[in-house]
Amino acid sequence: MRELRRLSLRFLNAVPVILLVAVLTFFLMHLLPGDPAVVIAGQDASPQAVARIRTQLGLDRPLPEQLLVWLANLARGNFGTSLALNQSVLAAVLDRLPVTLSLAAISLAITVPLGIGAGVIAGYKRNTWIDQSVMVIALLGVSLPGFWIAILSVILFSVQLKWLPSGGYVPLAQGAWPWFASLIQPAVVLALFQIGFLARMTRSAMLDVLDQDFIRAARARGVSEWSAVIKHAFRNTLIPVVTAAGIILSLLIGGSVIVEQVFALPGIGRLIVQAILARDYPLVQGTMLLLGFAFVAINLLLDIVYLLVDPRVRYE
Amino acid sequence: MASAAAVAIGGVPRSAAAQPHAGGTLVYANISGPGTLDPYVSGSLVELEIIHHIYEGLVEMDEHYAWKPMLASKVEASPDAKTFTFTLRKGVKFSNGKEMTSADVLASFQRYQKLSTNASILADADGFDTPDPYTFVVRLKKPNAVFLDILKSPTYPLSIMPAEEKDKPAREADVIGTGPYTLGEWARDSHLVLNRNDGYVADTSAPGPDGFAGRKTAYLDHIRYNFVPEANARVAALQSGDANAASDIPPELSKRFADRKDLSLLKVFPYCQQVFVTNSQNGPTANPLIRQAIAAAVNVDEILDATGQIAQKNASLLYAFSPYYSPEVAKPYYDQHNPAKVKELLAKAGYKGEKIVLQTNSNYAYMRDAILVLNEQLKADGINSAVEVVDWTTNASNMQRGTGNWNVSTTGFCSQPLLGPQQWRVMVYTFPQVKGDAELDAAYTKFLTSPDVQDRKAAWQEIEHRVLDQAYMIKVADLGGLRGYDSKVQDMTAYFFPRYWNVWMK
Repeated sequence: MRELRRLSLRFLNAVPVILLVAVLTFFLMHLLPGDPAVVIAGQDASPQAVARIRTQLGLDRPLPEQLLVWLANLARGNFGTSLALNQSVLAAVLDRLPVTLSLAAISLAITVPLGIGAGVIAGYKRNTWIDQSVMVIALLGVSLPGFWIAILSVILFSVQLKWLPSGGYVPLAQGAWPWFASLIQPAVVLALFQIGFLARMTRSAMLDVLDQDFIRAARARGVSEWSAVIKHAFRNTLIPVVTAAGIILSLLIGGSVIVEQVFALPGIGRLIVQAILARDYPLVQGTMLLLGFAFVAINLLLDIVYLLVDPRVRYE
Repeated sequence: MASAAAVAIGGVPRSAAAQPHAGGTLVYANISGPGTLDPYVSGSLVELEIIHHIYEGLVEMDEHYAWKPMLASKVEASPDAKTFTFTLRKGVKFSNGKEMTSADVLASFQRYQKLSTNASILADADGFDTPDPYTFVVRLKKPNAVFLDILKSPTYPLSIMPAEEKDKPAREADVIGTGPYTLGEWARDSHLVLNRNDGYVADTSAPGPDGFAGRKTAYLDHIRYNFVPEANARVAALQSGDANAASDIPPELSKRFADRKDLSLLKVFPYCQQVFVTNSQNGPTANPLIRQAIAAAVNVDEILDATGQIAQKNASLLYAFSPYYSPEVAKPYYDQHNPAKVKELLAKAGYKGEKIVLQTNSNYAYMRDAILVLNEQLKADGINSAVEVVDWTTNASNMQRGTGNWNVSTTGFCSQPLLGPQQWRVMVYTFPQVKGDAELDAAYTKFLTSPDVQDRKAAWQEIEHRVLDQAYMIKVADLGGLRGYDSKVQDMTAYFFPRYWNVWMK
């Protein structure tokens, strides 16, 4: 209980950090050249029409005033209204959250067993052809551009073999299989990079642990090789591995931009990219703020997992 | 170019002996989705192509982009071009079942005046009259000989909506029109579905569809717009059977259609015009002689080789089918690549190697490539030019607002050359930041007030001459576009906007 209370305090401590992120995002977005009023008005609009839109949106007000208005609205729980979508920021994010969360969940479910498994095997079979093969594949996964892999995957699995849809999202409410079929291809493409990353992290953590005295001692005591590797060695790699898995979860949510773009998935990544391109200030600011909360929550979750995997961890 | 694939120019041909019939869902992979379906504030192509399936105006553009009555059965203009009387078609129904009358037209014009991005087109309105339910009169303070041409514009269309929508703010009107389709499901960023309007009242006085006017028949039960931003993914959707139609196919991807007999490419030409724009208010390009020197350096063939677009050379800012087309005026300023003239103009301008910034963007490859080639051409002729690449939003904002430190940029103009001089009016001032050009102002006033078409043609010649002679704009080429269809889609024809009425599925 005491641990949990301390963890909650940590969460509260993160609030000023999130606010700082919000203010920074506000200024960075407004520093970007390019006018949202021009995007909304369109190419054929006269300068007078653009100016009128700027006034309507309050973009002609001084920047500190715009910031104060935004913060005051935030304090009332109002994240603002998207300029381009004409929809509340919260609704826009909540609409797209199931897509990105589904994608991240499936991708993580592929990444964790494969990444950790490959890393453990490579670490255990170090400097053998198995280790080298795993590491070459992992390196390829990390290095190949996601965009290119995504296009090749669509050409193979959707155009040639016709196994999977070429893009688009089907909500879970319309059936588990259509939902899964719409996500498995982008999830695997997204996982390829992460598997490589996790395998490399796990391998190096395994190498550190396998050389330590307590493993030699376990083997000397006649513990079976399986038990020495999994029970003694692998369990001791869990802290860095969990950290890596946490980073991966953050990357999956934030980094699904390319995959969502190629597979036409209406998720958070695509929302942010479109918002930045359209200089949709309230949408970018609001989404970044909500993502900030999400990352703090993930870190908190990791802290709890640390407690579970290693009883020695204490939060003072 | 698109030579590797079967490219249909007129339209996707009908299978032998097949007859149009109702039914089916056409899935269309389009580049992105609409932000709003409120016609009065809609300026983007993805919004407009949906809006024109739902809404109609008093007049619309026909197959050759001239105005034609749509919800009006007759339009009369007074000889002084100040009063326009629209006789409305009787029995036209909105998709909510209500009959359209002059009260709806009046409310629509008033709402447009109040909140449209393009409200300035009604700035000279003296008043509107509704003498009876089927007559609507517009009175102008000043003559406007091209008022009906202005009304036909598909951008920020003055569509007729029910009077009940009059006081709804911009972007918040209910989507109710008189068009052949109605709005169904709309999941933003994902897809939008149009349903056939079974209560649609077609213009039976016309023999068939004619541009956005004429007799429209909705055959398809549903049209599903899937928003697929990646061109590769749109082609894949077509190849895999996930879509029946795909928009905006880059020429380099047309090879993927080569061995697919069940797929065809539809070439839309002309689609847009690429133009270099000079900033007449910033640094060296504030001097007309420097702008003229830049125009004299341009070699169009080299640019077209680099951009790889479907393109054709044309000196004019209009197309041959326009009643105002006057290529002889534009020719002297086009594709000059004349180093001696550049040198002479620079000397006359007292040019001392000041930097000329060519700004472009990373989003549109053809714009970037054209600017890169222009940069080399200018350097070869002794102009100290430098390329600056920004994102499209910055580039477009800078061109439209005159912000940023740029001297030359480029963009594509699509509706302007198709619709005529009145549509160019805002552009020729805004993009090059033209201020205080009395000659241009006078020519436009003459164009707007001359009731005789020959006088208007002469006025346009003065406008085009002024724009090109001052090198506010430097014409590059006419560009085409490619769309892809599978063999189920029948009777699709090439038009600036994809239209799905009179299209049916095999």
